[in-house]
Amino acid sequence: MTTTTPTSQRLRAIDMARFVADGFVEFGDLIPAELNAQVHRDALAYPRNRGYDPNKPREFWDYSDAVRQVFDLPAVQGVVESLVGPDPVHDHSYLHTVAPGKREAQRWHVDSSLAVDHPRQFDILVCYFPHDAPAEMGPTLVLPGTHVRRVSYHDVTRYKNFLGQRQLTGPGGRIAFMHESLWHCAQPNQTDDWRFMFKIRYLPRVPQQGLFNTAGWDDAEIKAFYNDARRQYPWAGDGFAAMGQAWRTWWRYLAGAE
Amino acid sequence: MTSETRQQILILHLAEPDLGAPTVAWALYDGARPAGDQQMQAGDQPEPPYASVVDAMHHGWRVLQLPRLPTYPRGAEHESGPLPWEYVLERFVSVEPADDHHHSH
Repeated sequence: MTTTTPTSQRLRAIDMARFVADGFVEFGDLIPAELNAQVHRDALAYPRNRGYDPNKPREFWDYSDAVRQVFDLPAVQGVVESLVGPDPVHDHSYLHTVAPGKREAQRWHVDSSLAVDHPRQFDILVCYFPHDAPAEMGPTLVLPGTHVRRVSYHDVTRYKNFLGQRQLTGPGGRIAFMHESLWHCAQPNQTDDWRFMFKIRYLPRVPQQGLFNTAGWDDAEIKAFYNDARRQYPWAGDGFAAMGQAWRTWWRYLAGAE
Repeated sequence: MTSETRQQILILHLAEPDLGAPTVAWALYDGARPAGDQQMQAGDQPEPPYASVVDAMHHGWRVLQLPRLPTYPRGAEHESGPLPWEYVLERFVSVEPADDHHHSH
């Protein structure tokens, strides 16, 4: 990924605001169905449960032509560049699986030990589900809005259930772009099929400012969004005031206004 | 045969420090479940078991821990970390003596 996508392919201000408030954005319509089907076939043909080998940090990426095509799509590149800028580092990627009938959930965690300038400085985790992933199949559970809190890796494993927890369910081809500090966990798989999720971690090479389509960043629509968003995180209780403060200062930085 | 007791730990997170404020997060660690049985799993319960700490007290739970109220060091007024209003409750329940007690860890 060496070229820069046109502004028209970048996240619009309202989508970027959603990322700032929720800690992720997800799409169901970026990837052609035949490409999703090919990645799914590749996943089924790929040896399962081999575990992550740090000496082979891109094993499925190297294995599947189709998955590389997914991430070459201008629509996908445009979102990645909006968040981490041009030519980000592909730190590692991995085909995550949940076996049929697996009853245990993964514990809540974040994939970060806190950046020096959290939450402004962040890697992204791109989670791609090539096949239909209904709730009973165990797609990732996230807690929207948690990425602005200062916690590290497994600090949150004591928690089990929250008001506002949300599973990334949907038809095949769903792709979510997550802030590294978003609380999340894999879920049990009650079906007879393997659940696959391909995840890439991208690291920025540039300060994360002015990367999205900033047109209208200060419009009334954006202010109204943040005002409404304050009511969307029931787990935060009266802490939503601090969240609003975090969003506003980060938003001005992201837009290049400070 | 006399019964034995086991401890259950319930952790409730409230929207505000008031013990009657609504529950927003919850976790149960149940010592009465046999070792090896599955405990509460992340994401397995969409609604809280009790509306508040006071509600849980009405159902026989004893409060073990109240969170300290916050102080705000200058320069860190807007920092947030784990959920602040965390209450730890306990209850003791009777269980039949385990035949395979020596297998417990």
